[in-house]
Amino acid sequence: MEEFQLEQMEQETEAMLRIRYLKDGDAVFEKVGNGFLSLCLGEEYYPRVNVVRMFPFSDSQKFISIRNAEEKQEEIGIIEDLDTMSPKKKEMLLEQLSLRYFTPVILKVRNIKDEYGYSYWDVVTDRGECKFTVKMGGKSISHLSEERVLIMDIDENRFEIPDVSKMTPAERKKLDLFL
Amino acid sequence: MKLPEEIKAEIKAEILFSALFDLKQNGEYGKGYVVLTGEKLYVFSESEKEQHCRFSYDLKDLEQLNVENGIGCNMLTVRIGNRMQYLVRFTNACLGKMLQLKKGVEQLQKGEAFEPPKEEEVCCPKCGKRYPDPVQKICPKCMDKGAVFWRVLEYFKTYRVQFITLVLGVILTSLLNLVWPYLNGEILYDKVLAGDEGFLQSIGLGQGEFITALLLLVLTMVATKVVLLLLQILHGVLTAHMVIGVIRDMKKDVFAKMGQLSISFFRSRQTGGLMTRVMSDADRITGFFVDGAPYVLVHVLTFTVTMVVMLRINWKMTLTTLLILPVLLGINRYLRPKIWIMHGRRHRAERSVNNSVNDNLTGARVVKSFGQESQEISRFKSSNRKLRDAETHIAYRQNYFQIVYGGAQSIIDMSVWFLGVYFLLGDAGMELGTLITFAGYVSQLQGPLNFMSHVPNWWAESMNSAQRLFEIMDAIPQVQEKEKPIPLKEPKGDVVLDKVTFGYEIGRPVLKDVSLHIEAGKMIGIIGRSGAGKTTLVNLISRMYDVQEGSIRIDGIDVKDLSAGDLRKNVSMVSQDTYIFMGTVAENIAYANPGADHGDVMRAAKLAGAHDFIMKMPDGYDTFIGSSGRALSGGERQRISIARAILANPKILILDEATASVDTETERIIQKSLQYLVKGRTTISIAHRLSTLRDADYLVVVENGEITEAGTHEELEKLGGIYYKLMQLQTKALAVKE
Repeated sequence: MEEFQLEQMEQETEAMLRIRYLKDGDAVFEKVGNGFLSLCLGEEYYPRVNVVRMFPFSDSQKFISIRNAEEKQEEIGIIEDLDTMSPKKKEMLLEQLSLRYFTPVILKVRNIKDEYGYSYWDVVTDRGECKFTVKMGGKSISHLSEERVLIMDIDENRFEIPDVSKMTPAERKKLDLFL
Repeated sequence: MKLPEEIKAEIKAEILFSALFDLKQNGEYGKGYVVLTGEKLYVFSESEKEQHCRFSYDLKDLEQLNVENGIGCNMLTVRIGNRMQYLVRFTNACLGKMLQLKKGVEQLQKGEAFEPPKEEEVCCPKCGKRYPDPVQKICPKCMDKGAVFWRVLEYFKTYRVQFITLVLGVILTSLLNLVWPYLNGEILYDKVLAGDEGFLQSIGLGQGEFITALLLLVLTMVATKVVLLLLQILHGVLTAHMVIGVIRDMKKDVFAKMGQLSISFFRSRQTGGLMTRVMSDADRITGFFVDGAPYVLVHVLTFTVTMVVMLRINWKMTLTTLLILPVLLGINRYLRPKIWIMHGRRHRAERSVNNSVNDNLTGARVVKSFGQESQEISRFKSSNRKLRDAETHIAYRQNYFQIVYGGAQSIIDMSVWFLGVYFLLGDAGMELGTLITFAGYVSQLQGPLNFMSHVPNWWAESMNSAQRLFEIMDAIPQVQEKEKPIPLKEPKGDVVLDKVTFGYEIGRPVLKDVSLHIEAGKMIGIIGRSGAGKTTLVNLISRMYDVQEGSIRIDGIDVKDLSAGDLRKNVSMVSQDTYIFMGTVAENIAYANPGADHGDVMRAAKLAGAHDFIMKMPDGYDTFIGSSGRALSGGERQRISIARAILANPKILILDEATASVDTETERIIQKSLQYLVKGRTTISIAHRLSTLRDADYLVVVENGEITEAGTHEELEKLGGIYYKLMQLQTKALAVKE
């Protein structure tokens, strides 16, 4: 029994270090219920998997980690590029991603009022209109690149401006305080 | 949040709780409500066609209701029959309510009564704006600034003589400033130089004594300037004295309060941020009271008096001036903030340059070893360039401002002179001296106007700062001492945890229904993964927090009934994050027991295995350590904190990963000393390494906030559970090492 236990632990450790790429042919994803995905991989079956981005900002369509939704959340495999998957699978995976990641893109800045150390934003995003509050100073605004800005409100909701230079001069004026 | 009436009307049963959600299934924003009644859960969501579409679920059909957190959004998931699904999606703004809803459903499903959660206000009830800080519920817009003002004024009470002197001095200054244009204009030109005999008579001089009059005038003018200068010095001295005093008093009060507050207060705020805020808030408040408040009076006074005088001199010219002055004010108000924004940008650029330099200096070894010098140089160049650009922009803006503002000023001056000369030539009762006096007053108007345009903001900001400080001063410690605590006489050290439930946040228990009996004089070991709740468990014993359910008893007395003094004297903790205070080694060891003599300190250090490395320091036990002194390694710090606990000589000793950051040899020394130490006391030891717990009489394994295994070494080994697995892993790891 002792030997067996040790072997099993060894295996677990090794599984943690191994990189397994999932190919379109091997991985069979299936929708279970509403908003959940199961994975059949040869003899392995996972009733529910999580789909997680490795580079959510810099490479959102590549390097997708498929993880077991069970307690340990160990990695089952990696999809190097979503485009290598069949259109149907890609759609399923994208749906999972859209359920997990929510970062509205700010299309229009209606008003930003800054008052007493906090700023109150009124914007139009690709997901609809939104008003939120941002703490001034500190880490609320991060520059992903020269022109790309990520805004975090006081509830840790995220908003993105993909290209500041494409905003209108009036909007840029309102954003001036933060850039 | 109010539930719409039509929903209320639609649900016949009594509504227990409702939570808002703000996302549609397709990920667009859209409102809806999840409503809980005694038997059902309703989901109402907005749809295009009708007002609301509705789903309802029987509570008994809902299994595994859960809130799953994504990145920036969340789902309420559930299993109905065999089908897993999510009910609604929502952003973090709705998270708190949803967690409460989940708890409510669980309570009802267990057949317990629904406990309505405490209503957490996140928005200001008056104006509906979100509180900037949900913990400190202050709406900067709606708070009673007047009350805060008077409360701050209390701090100046000690300095009332100085404060009144200051205000009087300021008033005198402005009066003298008012006299000045009159002296150097009307009196000089129209009376003395123009040879006004009537004027000589009125000041009691004989006919033709204009030289004496001139001399007198010059003397008066010099005297005025000297008095102004003296007042300025007085002002400086008084300000320095008062500001330092008041800031000191405020900080003293805040820190005194902070000492009393529970650990949870510091947990919910970033400690570093808190400190800088206290410092800068105090500065800002006194700044307003010393440089702002007294001048409000003065400027209002100056403005009215100047206006009156000007109107009396020539009302037409005054009106013209009044028409142009607002332009100046407008320019100032419009352009100034832009310069501030530029300054903010420069500040950020500066910080990025500094960071880049700092990275390169402290990380020089890494940069060199990977040969990345050229990349670092280009990185530095780019941030440096940004700084340069920011600087140029500021210079450009400032010049622009000066030109525009100065230009407007000149236009006003010129128009005053132009009009004046026009009146002078037109013989409308205007004289040269009067004109000079008038021009002097015009320039004096600008100061008060600019000042008054800043005051509202300044006032609001400083009152906001004050309110934040008062908030800390008024905070009520969560862990409070009983009024008549039960004394702990001849403590034995028997500890009982009775069905303890605790969590740092509501609805997320870290410990669930934990019961444990630790007999007096025994050593108990606690094992478990990081995050399992081990540290929380011991924090509760020393009453850093209060349990939410159940109780903890020492020698049969609830810790809530004990005095803080008794508890601290009898329970000592050596924790994983040891803090070294500024001071000598000896002072640090004797921290809990300042009366200890040198012999005691030495013996404690010896027992903790700290003596030898202390003796290697140049000044032995008198070596300065802590933030400004000699740096200590992790193991050294830990041994000092063990010595600290030994010297405190508690009945109950808690070791929280006390030997985690020392090497094997040192651990053995400490193990040995612990063997002496644990005699006659109850010891609770948390460890990752099982070797640390060799001497434990009894072991418990904590998993996910629950005790899953308990027993002696042998019993647990036979059980073949987590303990067994850990033991296998560690003995094997050691075998490889040695």
